[in-house]
Amino acid sequence: MTTDSRKFAKTLDEVKTYLGKKREESMEIDGTVIRAYCECIGDPNPMWKDTAPPGLVTTAMISSGAMLIGVPLLYKRSVAGGADWEFFKPIKKGDTIHTSHEFSELQEKASDKGPRLLMVYKSSHKNQKGELVAISTNTIMNY
Amino acid sequence: MAQVYFDDVKEGQDIPTLEKTPTNRTLVQWAGASGDFFELHYDKEFAKTMGYPNVLVHGRLEAAYLTQLLTDWAGEKGVVKKMSVQYRGNAFPGQKLLIKGKVTKKYQKDNENIVELEIFVENPEGQKITPGSAIVALPKK
Repeated sequence: MTTDSRKFAKTLDEVKTYLGKKREESMEIDGTVIRAYCECIGDPNPMWKDTAPPGLVTTAMISSGAMLIGVPLLYKRSVAGGADWEFFKPIKKGDTIHTSHEFSELQEKASDKGPRLLMVYKSSHKNQKGELVAISTNTIMNY
Repeated sequence: MAQVYFDDVKEGQDIPTLEKTPTNRTLVQWAGASGDFFELHYDKEFAKTMGYPNVLVHGRLEAAYLTQLLTDWAGEKGVVKKMSVQYRGNAFPGQKLLIKGKVTKKYQKDNENIVELEIFVENPEGQKITPGSAIVALPKK
């Protein structure tokens, strides 16, 4: 059965009320998490035993959390527009990563295909010692 | 894998290409690993309602391939410091994707040996569907 799990807003103002909303989540990085990630992308590098690949924190953990803020969409189509990441410290097996996501920016743009929204999410990732390991920004295009 | 050193890197050089062919199975694995259960990536009927002929490969999975491109190249002593991507095109399961990179600049800053790269995912039609850039620090001999 085809389902659509997304929420929709009736007006732009309704979407704007979500600006600044945050969501926190934590994840324990054990060997299973590292292995599942490496198996999925096909990365057999032996470096990823006690250290997690940098792609893990940014790509594997971020999606669900930021989306769980539950910001409604205005238009039917939505795709990822772009993303950037800055890595400060390696993540080690046994670390607990605390992530804070924020719906931080909303831009309204006109295009020849009609209006579109750029929805920007910023996330920061800290380890159990409070050290910042990475920050990231993800942009969703809704049109 | 041999360690690459800052001394040996030349501006304009290509780094070794990765080949990836994500399948429906890969997309399901990725959904589970990432928690991204957006129907666009596993429900073909849903994808059609959004105007696509098939489910789409997750943009973030392509980004993960690009981080692997960089970590494979930078080796154990190299550090990936920054990466950014733009999702401009679509990839579909079963397509062979080429994950590529080219050195654009090298310099020393704050006692680090910095290399800047242009990176991208190329689809079978030769289009750069996910272009981006990266900054990597490499060891010196």
